[in-house]
Amino acid sequence: MSNSDHLRIREVTREFNVNGEKLTALDSVSLNIAEGEFVTIVGASGCGKSTLLRLAAGLDTAHAGRIAHDGNLVTGPSLDRGMVFQEPRLFPWLTVERNVALGLENSGLAKREKKRLVEEHLELVGLSGFAKAYPHQLSGGMAQRAGIARGLVNRPNVLFLDEPFGALDAITKTRMQDELQEIWARERITMVLVTHDVEEAVYLGDRVVIMSPRPGRIRDIVPVNLRRPRERISAGLAKIRTRVLESLNSIDSRPTATDERPVKDESGRRAAPLRPAVVLAN
Amino acid sequence: MVTAFFETVIRAGEGTPSPWRKALALGVAGAIFPAVLLLLWWVASDRGWLAEQILPSPVYVYETARDMITSGELPYHAGVSLRRVVTGFAFGAVAGLGLGVAMGLSRRVEEYVKPLFLAFAQIPTLGWIPLLMLLVGIDEALKIIIIAKGALVPMAVNTHAGIRGVSPKYIEVGRALKFSDWQTLRFIVLPGAIPSIFTGIRYGLTHSWTSLVGVELLASSEGLGYLLVWGRQMFWLDTVIVAMIVIGLVGFVMDKGLDRSEILIQRWKREEI
Repeated sequence: MSNSDHLRIREVTREFNVNGEKLTALDSVSLNIAEGEFVTIVGASGCGKSTLLRLAAGLDTAHAGRIAHDGNLVTGPSLDRGMVFQEPRLFPWLTVERNVALGLENSGLAKREKKRLVEEHLELVGLSGFAKAYPHQLSGGMAQRAGIARGLVNRPNVLFLDEPFGALDAITKTRMQDELQEIWARERITMVLVTHDVEEAVYLGDRVVIMSPRPGRIRDIVPVNLRRPRERISAGLAKIRTRVLESLNSIDSRPTATDERPVKDESGRRAAPLRPAVVLAN
Repeated sequence: MVTAFFETVIRAGEGTPSPWRKALALGVAGAIFPAVLLLLWWVASDRGWLAEQILPSPVYVYETARDMITSGELPYHAGVSLRRVVTGFAFGAVAGLGLGVAMGLSRRVEEYVKPLFLAFAQIPTLGWIPLLMLLVGIDEALKIIIIAKGALVPMAVNTHAGIRGVSPKYIEVGRALKFSDWQTLRFIVLPGAIPSIFTGIRYGLTHSWTSLVGVELLASSEGLGYLLVWGRQMFWLDTVIVAMIVIGLVGFVMDKGLDRSEILIQRWKREEI
């Protein structure tokens, strides 16, 4: 088994039934992720990026196609795959420590070992002093750190992150990105992060997967061959960011069933993204 | 002027940072109406606005209460009532919790049971008494069943709502962590439903207490409700008033006690840094 067979997504299609209408969230998506790789998935809302993540994590299994993790078909959640949600989803009735410890409930480890792992992971995310705090006492960034600790405490070999910093302010966000990068470098586990923030996708990813909506497809995969730790304002990063943005902007913005005004493209070419003024002029 | 005084008291409660003074001020505010009522009662009986047989004076009632306590009559009847409530409430609360959990967890149980349960809940507790009297007689069983029913309905309704109110996002966290059904129930669903279950316990206890007095009015030879009926029949309005005050006080204390324990249990909700 080659390294690139770590996570294999083959021809995956996922359809939803919305008010009796069939909606194709993912249309035969294929992607290979190597062990220890940091892959970011970026796209506009509705492009199926979160759906893809949920399928890969095994939280959703109603798809066509194959998803395999280390050679085993993904048929449901597994403790080998960690998950971090956008809202940290900490249980408000438990302390930070107990929230993280819940991750180990089915690990089969001895009590002492569990305790050690919880402490170790709180340390890893910088929350050692807040073990006994309740979630409502934490800031947004701290709560998400606890969420990451819970996702990592089982020592999974892949961690899925669904827009983990989407709700944080800009300053906290950059700090959390740096911390996540450090954790990734130290723990050497695979990370797959979904985001709508191009900056974040380029800064963190070894590869940036660009998705287009309706139906959700992979449009482009941009490698980021820059040494880490990266400089946010380096020319190399800016160049790749521009490329990702161009790729995203060239995505067809055809009208959907929900759009009121039909936007025609007489030439039949792929329509350039329309600015509001242009739409109004039609 | 009275309004001005009132405002001052309330302002004092809101403005001062010390929680003690605040609690004190709030306690004072809560005591104003009882004090006014007492004053009115005293004036009314003093001026003879109502016949003494109908409205005995506060002093007379106080003396009656003292006599009833020293003779052991009042503690005895209160004890009988409390024992009934505790037993009936325990049965009703446990059954209500079970029913609420079952309806909350299983759509099927909900579909089968809920319509009947809702219809059942619409019939006032006292409406059951005539039928139950024929079925189980007028002994303890009748009282326990009526009190249990009083607790069961709010308990089941609130537990059901609490379980349904647990966010599917939390359940999904459990799925990601490979939780079994039992683990999901124990670590997510039940803790998530606790605030609502507590509301059920509170309402349940209040309902139990009020239905107890109701059933004792109709069919009993002991207890606080019996004291009420007996006092009325004998035209001892002092006894009636003493019984009423004790019923109100016991209910008030039980509710306060539950409020305290609710705060203690749900520290995660209220405690700020």
